[in-house]
Amino acid sequence: MTGAAIAGIGATEFSKESGRSELRLAAEAVRAALADAGLSPSDVNGMVTFSMDSNAEIAVARELGVPELTFFSLIGYGGGAACATVHQAAMAIATGAADVVVCYRAMNERSGRRFGQVAVGASSIATSSGIDNSWHYPIGLSTPAATVAMMARRYMHVYGASSADFGVVAVADRKHAANNPHAWFYQRPITLEDHQSSRWITEPLRLLDCCQESDGGVAVVVTSVERARSLRQPVVSVAAAAQGSGRDQFTMTSYYRDDMTGLPEMGIVARQLWRQSGFSPADVRTAILYDHFTPYVLMQLEELGFCGRGEAAGFIADGAIEVGGRLPLNTHGGQLGEAYIHGMNGIAEGVRQVRGTSVNQVEGDGPVLVTAGTGVPTSGLVLAAG
Amino acid sequence: MTDLLTIAEEIIAAGESEPRLARDPVNLPIIENWVEAMGDASPVWTAGEVAPPAMIQVWTMAGQRQFDRDSSDPMGRIVNALDAAGFTSVVATNCDQVYHRYLRLGEQVSITVSLTDLVGPKRTALGEGYFFTTRHTWYVGDEVVGTMDFRILKFRPAASGPMPSLGEPMRPVISADTAFFWAGTSVGELRIQSCVDCGTLRHPPGPMCMACGSAEAKYVVAAGTGEVFSFIVHRHPPVPGKKLPMVLALVELPEGVRVLGELVGIATEAVRVGLPVEAAFLKVDDELTLPAWRPAELPELVVEATTTFVVGAALATRDFTKVHHDRDFAVASGSKDIFVNILTSTGLVQRFVSDWAGPSAVFRSISIRLGAPCYAGDTLRFTGAVTSREGSLHTVAVTGRNSLGDHVIATVVVEIPGSTS
Repeated sequence: MTGAAIAGIGATEFSKESGRSELRLAAEAVRAALADAGLSPSDVNGMVTFSMDSNAEIAVARELGVPELTFFSLIGYGGGAACATVHQAAMAIATGAADVVVCYRAMNERSGRRFGQVAVGASSIATSSGIDNSWHYPIGLSTPAATVAMMARRYMHVYGASSADFGVVAVADRKHAANNPHAWFYQRPITLEDHQSSRWITEPLRLLDCCQESDGGVAVVVTSVERARSLRQPVVSVAAAAQGSGRDQFTMTSYYRDDMTGLPEMGIVARQLWRQSGFSPADVRTAILYDHFTPYVLMQLEELGFCGRGEAAGFIADGAIEVGGRLPLNTHGGQLGEAYIHGMNGIAEGVRQVRGTSVNQVEGDGPVLVTAGTGVPTSGLVLAAG
Repeated sequence: MTDLLTIAEEIIAAGESEPRLARDPVNLPIIENWVEAMGDASPVWTAGEVAPPAMIQVWTMAGQRQFDRDSSDPMGRIVNALDAAGFTSVVATNCDQVYHRYLRLGEQVSITVSLTDLVGPKRTALGEGYFFTTRHTWYVGDEVVGTMDFRILKFRPAASGPMPSLGEPMRPVISADTAFFWAGTSVGELRIQSCVDCGTLRHPPGPMCMACGSAEAKYVVAAGTGEVFSFIVHRHPPVPGKKLPMVLALVELPEGVRVLGELVGIATEAVRVGLPVEAAFLKVDDELTLPAWRPAELPELVVEATTTFVVGAALATRDFTKVHHDRDFAVASGSKDIFVNILTSTGLVQRFVSDWAGPSAVFRSISIRLGAPCYAGDTLRFTGAVTSREGSLHTVAVTGRNSLGDHVIATVVVEIPGSTS
């Protein structure tokens, strides 16, 4: 137990064109999360976001009228930062650096800079990341889908997984989204045939293997469990929080390790989560697994210990990851179905599951697992009641 | 636009045209002209028994006669409809021939044509247009001896020149740790970092040996061979400086490292994990050459496409279309010069594989994707590799390149009796 709790969650609507600035989205999401917690901006003294977020802590604090910040921090590696923002907040609270920390991510990722397009400048920055990208971008490997497709192909070759196996994840996400009024794909489920007939983006990935591009913002409020007990919402404890980066780690292109069929960085996160929380995969009631691309959901299940290497296709079959199945995943609809807010909307759904307020509520009192971006240095959370 | 699709539906529904008989039976003099033009030295073709399969279309070419296109001719009808709708320019994109059996001397073939599909309108690099495919079927009596699917783009030339550029090709950042690699590609060397102290090889390179911590590095030049470890076919979105679809392959080298590169010279469907490849180098400009890969097992064939060759081969394939022999006409109709005809490209692909496979080889099919034209005076270089093998049946990927780029990318299925997996 980290001693920290998530006391509030907030979000803007999820859209393809917000019609307002990213800073306004951030401020709206944070204000909503504070209202949810029953706190005011003057209670906040810590802020964490992604290094990729374009809204500086001081700008968000200024808009909200936060008088003093004693802790502020940026986490790198794209969506890998999602759960790590809460990890940072929990550490700040544990050390006394801050009492109430807001974690946020807001972007016009569809109407503004689209992550699905080629980031032409990625290999022109004179940093170690720019040099890493220089082995891939100029060659033509220059979109997130392409980087994942290379791993997916190897996984398929070694374990015999198929495109239809990946499609099972998309079908589950869209089924859950169909029941979520906040989801972009509300009331729009898909079949496996829809998935199989969707066009290739980068073989072996089809359009319906890829998450959405979305506009929106999400924020969560982290404080101590003790403080959370006096606030408006049922207490959602951060039972475990961890970051992970593996040997010979790259961002999206860890192609030079012996094996290319797993996500060792997620394995590093998983071992910490189970150790910290005392839970095991068998205890987990439902999980929000980062799903920017479907193949990595399969690999995550293996890294997290839900099944053995190469066994995920069998594990997810026959409705196992849909509500009512043995391990419902991404009950908000995931980033394929609800919205792509870099994993922060998944943390919010994890909180709703612990509170018992999800539109696709999974019964039981087991912990809820949330993971962050895959293929990059990443992070994870175990959330539990009380 | 709906009109065109409706017209196409009618033509498709009408099925095959009336059969048209070849002028001559399959005969040795025409074969010998063809074999000389292609430079195909296989004794099989001149033994007086069978004709080279890639000649199948030659027998039913119009020659210098003009056929009256009657109202039942599906190709004429769709071309007329597209012309009338303003899609006046034409470029052939694919030619897939399947040989049910070889033609024997003395047989007189007939041909029918049908329309298979019309797709569009599509935005292409050349302009807005429609793709259509015609199915050509050759018969001896009632027996089908071969087919050809011929895909054509009819387009309205883009009014304002080429499509807007996506921007300059992406370039690498080069540091003190990586400069040796990029210096290597520019001179055609694939350089792998090597630790001075412990000899460990590493790619991508870095400033400190991951095995022993030494900061002293040199490099070795890779043999330039490897096997595809994983690959993707990138279709969306557009990538600056790249033609899509594009195959990108992560290749494992015998030296023990992996290097990413574009895999060129192979049809996308022929790529597989384990495919043997060799290093290639894609020059972007004087400052930048990118590492790349190509399948390479067959010995290279170089063909000088002189004016004599272009004209001689066109006539040997009984293709009297003026752009293949009349320079004044070709230039007046917007070409740089006369250029190699498709039947010749197909013939050269057959010869290239035949040279390697030997006289026992039996060709089953040749599928060709057409690219840059080959004008008189250019040089064609054919490279190829076996991409899959089931018993004696080999699939060979072939690329014919010239100074303008890929002229043909072909997939050839050939049976080589006696060969074992």
